[in-house]
Amino acid sequence: MELECRRASLHRPGEDLHKRDEPSLQEAINLKLVESGEKEKLKDLLRERLIECGWKDELKAQCRAFTRKRGRSNVTIDELVRAITPKGRALVPDDVKAELLQRIRTFLLSVQF
Amino acid sequence: MVTKSSSPCYRPCEHLVDYKSKHSTRGFRALQRCIVVLPPGRPSVRTLSCDEDPVPRCASCAKSHGRLYACLICSTISCYSSSSSHARSHALELPGHELAIDLDRAELFCCICNDQVYDADFDWVVVCAQSGKKHSVVSSGSGNAGGGGDGCGGDSGNGASLLAKHTSFSNGRTSGNAGGGGGDRIDGGKSASSLAKCTSFSNGRTAPPLNVYSRKRNRGAEYKPWEPSSKDPLVLERGAAPLGLRGLTNMGSTCFMNSVLQALLHTPPLRSYFLGHCHNKAACQSKVCLGCDMDDMFAAAFSGDRTPYSPAQFLYRRVKELFSSFSFPSHEKYLFLFSFLNSWWQHAANLAGYEQQDAHDFFISAVEGIHANSQQPELRKGNDAECRCIVHRVFSGLLRSDVTCTACGFTSTKNDPCVDISLDLESTALEKQIYASSSTLLGCLDRFTRPERLGSNERFFCESCQSRQEAVKQMSVRKLPVVLCFHVKRFEHSAKNYRKVDTYVQFPLSLNMACYLSSSIARLRHGNRLIFVEGKGELGGDNDSGSTSPSSEFELFAVVSHSGKLDGGHYVAYLRLGGEWYKCDDAWITRVGESVVRATQAYMLYYVQRSLSDESSTTIPERFNQHQTLVLDEKIGYTSLLADAVQA
Repeated sequence: MELECRRASLHRPGEDLHKRDEPSLQEAINLKLVESGEKEKLKDLLRERLIECGWKDELKAQCRAFTRKRGRSNVTIDELVRAITPKGRALVPDDVKAELLQRIRTFLLSVQF
Repeated sequence: MVTKSSSPCYRPCEHLVDYKSKHSTRGFRALQRCIVVLPPGRPSVRTLSCDEDPVPRCASCAKSHGRLYACLICSTISCYSSSSSHARSHALELPGHELAIDLDRAELFCCICNDQVYDADFDWVVVCAQSGKKHSVVSSGSGNAGGGGDGCGGDSGNGASLLAKHTSFSNGRTSGNAGGGGGDRIDGGKSASSLAKCTSFSNGRTAPPLNVYSRKRNRGAEYKPWEPSSKDPLVLERGAAPLGLRGLTNMGSTCFMNSVLQALLHTPPLRSYFLGHCHNKAACQSKVCLGCDMDDMFAAAFSGDRTPYSPAQFLYRRVKELFSSFSFPSHEKYLFLFSFLNSWWQHAANLAGYEQQDAHDFFISAVEGIHANSQQPELRKGNDAECRCIVHRVFSGLLRSDVTCTACGFTSTKNDPCVDISLDLESTALEKQIYASSSTLLGCLDRFTRPERLGSNERFFCESCQSRQEAVKQMSVRKLPVVLCFHVKRFEHSAKNYRKVDTYVQFPLSLNMACYLSSSIARLRHGNRLIFVEGKGELGGDNDSGSTSPSSEFELFAVVSHSGKLDGGHYVAYLRLGGEWYKCDDAWITRVGESVVRATQAYMLYYVQRSLSDESSTTIPERFNQHQTLVLDEKIGYTSLLADAVQA
């Protein structure tokens, strides 16, 4: 793949080898997304889609149920996030996932690495 | 997770309490500048970024995803995750730096307690930022009175470069009418608003109040919690003069204007409209707007100030508009106006004589002026019957004119909108015999709605006969307005006659218009038959004829009367407020007895639908129900009706 060949050029001069073990591709893509402002747009798109399909309301209900079960003063935001996140991920509709992936793909193809 | 501070059992953590006691709301207010609202209305924190690295990163590990927090004290950005929290380390290292704000969500976070915390003042700041207000007045939740003293000059150097310029509004009355709206409506029409953009910089200078940019953006009025001033209770106490009662100075034969203005100021629906800030001066596109002038006048009249008010703007505008308009009904009017304008400019003193204008003409032109300037979407040009601008909603009714062919009985019907009803006083000797004398309002109405035989020189073309025929014409009220204005035609300006009719006209305090409605008139014409028309609606029966329906009952609230001769008379208005009558003679207001009012020479009479009248004895719940039926509407199908009648 094009991307793999070019990996070497992504590292800034002087960076030590230790950093290669990190998912640098992911980092790179992320950086590119942010720089171009595409990440914000994708985030907004995702938010919009998730609201439209009722995902947000569903999750809100889940959070409420969780909080009520545990008792209001017994829940910290961390615990809530930890508990809800897997459910949230599972509940994302496939078409939303597909749309986002498509957008990212299009973006990556359009971008010069 | 603990609930928001509005719930009684929320207790802020010790760190938040500590922070608040040390820094109060300064830090929050400084943050307001940094809160940016992203679509769809989500508040977020904008960080100072540099070109190389647009994304905010943790100061310790440069992580840019996940949750990032900015310390409230030193603005250091730290990351947070349950496994490694640099935010927590930051807080542990530096005591006092426990509180941070979530960059993505604009929420307060306590790094030691590892949980979100909530504060009313902070939320207020975020809400202000979200609603686009540039300046926030810290809510009274923390004990600071809205807009008042606290904190306005007290911003210390916390994050000096990000300091939100706080504005004090309690005494921030800017010069002129700074966009209206907001703040204290009672206060003489000069209430400041956020549109004034009165920003006080740290050295105390104020920015110019009105700039075009802010006017266009129209961010809306700033919300300021209202506290009564020391004057307000006095205005409302028992025995105080009624609200809105204020003299109008005579600026040179302007009693014609003053008297009509007094009536308008106390027309209940108009009063509610303007005092309810429904005409948004700030959003007003026109530079010369009668609606804005009315708004100013209402504010001035209801301000509680009892000194006479000079409606100079109104007069100036009115005269200017009248003068520049070329649609005068007669040549004489043009001369009147020219001389009037002339005298107003040159001699402010009270001049008797021809400069006097007709109060009724003024009323019509004021209505037209407000209509023309009403804020756009409601206007439907050329169709007053459907116009939804405030003056038409209040005054516009529908008069029906039926012209019946004497040969075949075919009737041609025409509905014309009107803002008032002009009543003739003259009557022939014959009429005096048949009809109630025109010395009462009801008598005039009887005359108005009587069938009138059109002379042979006024023949109309009958469609069914296909020829010109003599006809009988009858007027009736198809649709009653909310406020009914009667104009007694006392002045005659025709070629041969130039005079005033002084006949006294008796008028009732309560008026029932049921028998003058088109449905009633038509029924009479057909000998009170019960006529049912298929499909298009029905006539007759007691269902909607309005004989006892509340919507045809009216209460008198204002009388404009004229005394003296045609050339040098004087207009005076009588207002009915709180069960009492007040004589408004330019700047002098006196309470008078009912008998005085009854004896006056009425020129214009203003009646309002009973359900909206302050004087009626209906209880409040009833009023609310009836409010829905502001105008009485009837459906009458005529053509097949006549066919029945003719065949019979």
